[in-house]
Amino acid sequence: MNDEQQLKLQAFLDGELPEAETREISAWVARDAEATALLKELRQTRQAFKSTEANVQLPESREFYWSKIQREIERDLPAAPPQRPSLFHRFRRVLVPVGAFAVLVVISILTFPRGNGIDSEMAVADSEAFTYQDYDSGTTLVWVSYPAER
Amino acid sequence: MAEKDYSSAEDTALVRLAQKGDTSAFEELVFRHRDKIYARAYSMMRNEEEAVDLSQEAWVKGWQRLHQFQGESSFTTWMTRIVINLCLDQLRKQKRQRAESIELLDEEAGGVERQMPAVTVNPTERLERGELRQRIDKAMSQLSYEHRTVLILHEFEEMEYKEIAKTMDCSIGTVMSRLFYARRKLAALLADLRGAD
Amino acid sequence: MRFRIGSSVSLLAAVASLLLVLSAAAAQARDFKFEAQLIWATMSESSPDPQHKPVDEKTRERLAKVNLKWKNYFLVRKVDASVPEKGAKEVVLSDKCKISIRQVDEENFEVSLFGQGKSVLKRMQNISKGEMLVLGGNAPDSTSWFVAVRRTE
Repeated sequence: MNDEQQLKLQAFLDGELPEAETREISAWVARDAEATALLKELRQTRQAFKSTEANVQLPESREFYWSKIQREIERDLPAAPPQRPSLFHRFRRVLVPVGAFAVLVVISILTFPRGNGIDSEMAVADSEAFTYQDYDSGTTLVWVSYPAER
Repeated sequence: MAEKDYSSAEDTALVRLAQKGDTSAFEELVFRHRDKIYARAYSMMRNEEEAVDLSQEAWVKGWQRLHQFQGESSFTTWMTRIVINLCLDQLRKQKRQRAESIELLDEEAGGVERQMPAVTVNPTERLERGELRQRIDKAMSQLSYEHRTVLILHEFEEMEYKEIAKTMDCSIGTVMSRLFYARRKLAALLADLRGAD
Repeated sequence: MRFRIGSSVSLLAAVASLLLVLSAAAAQARDFKFEAQLIWATMSESSPDPQHKPVDEKTRERLAKVNLKWKNYFLVRKVDASVPEKGAKEVVLSDKCKISIRQVDEENFEVSLFGQGKSVLKRMQNISKGEMLVLGGNAPDSTSWFVAVRRTE
């Protein structure tokens, strides 16, 4: 049995063949012991695998797991009004990265000195930025998403 | 003020509320489906800590993209796709740091499993469910992430070949080869494990 | 005697005028001082480049305040810059990365980030003395880059 036949047999098992080919393979399996054996093995392995979809449970408590998600979500919610009013505070925006397919502006902006060298190149997604502010320390972070979200 | 009780609300209602910014409704969705999303991440990453991180990241992304969910699939299916893509991104990053998987090279070279005769004895015969799960688990951890992912997407997510190809950014032919290799490898490993009894 | 008194008054007037002119000039030529740092963030213990040293403690604390999660932050380059009033100053941080800081009015500055000569990000920000604007993004292998702009004067 060659590679192509083996893959056809698998496709037959998975219901991926057009009707005419399905009939052909079915007839072949009926007369070929090797094909029958291989099909049986593939079917049994598939069944065994599917039957054991792990009943895996999250190893963290609900509250602990949620608290980190909540923190991240709340970073994206509109920020509290600034304590010092200023005309340009209007320009401080908290942007929720939206849009599954950002327009990518692929730019290399960092090359670290060679030596043992990191040579980092990265793509920066245009208009996929969000802002986080800590008023106490007077620090503002503008984070640009990368890679573009899929 | 009484806390909102969403425990009896349907997913579609919770999604609608969450789309309007109700984080409590979203929390209920997370509570309901956290195990499933975590399980998918774990099956791909085979590492508890990474699976927790990536599943949480998936929930955050889900929140951020909630406006895109139009009900074309179930909410869990939609969330599962998000976590799968995150896991694939992470696995690709990790692969860049490691040498090419020997398994993948083996497959590309033709793979010994293609020439292996069919395992005539049902490798799962007489195994109890728990034991079978352990053996499959062990066998899965011996597969490369590409082969593991193809199996998971096909068998658990019930994706067609072309959908898997799109998700994994490879050809349908590659999907078929990897799936075949993964299944035969699994059969061989299970038979081997049994033989070791 | 009268001639000497007259000369003294003239001299005093000249000095006073000079002082007036100088202070007017100084008031008009006010500069805003900044410190710009290019930082590489990683979970690794060290940077492959031995020239990279960890950032100072104050910078590290500020990065933690904005919930950044990396274990270590390494300073790639630090540059001090003076931005003239109503003017702009370009700061080169690497052979592919530079920023421009332009004073718009009062304490409002436009900070632009360029990569290979192309504009990546432009940010209008109110930056008072002591405050810091941090621009950041992902880098390969789960690391990140940051450009931290702090107004020092």
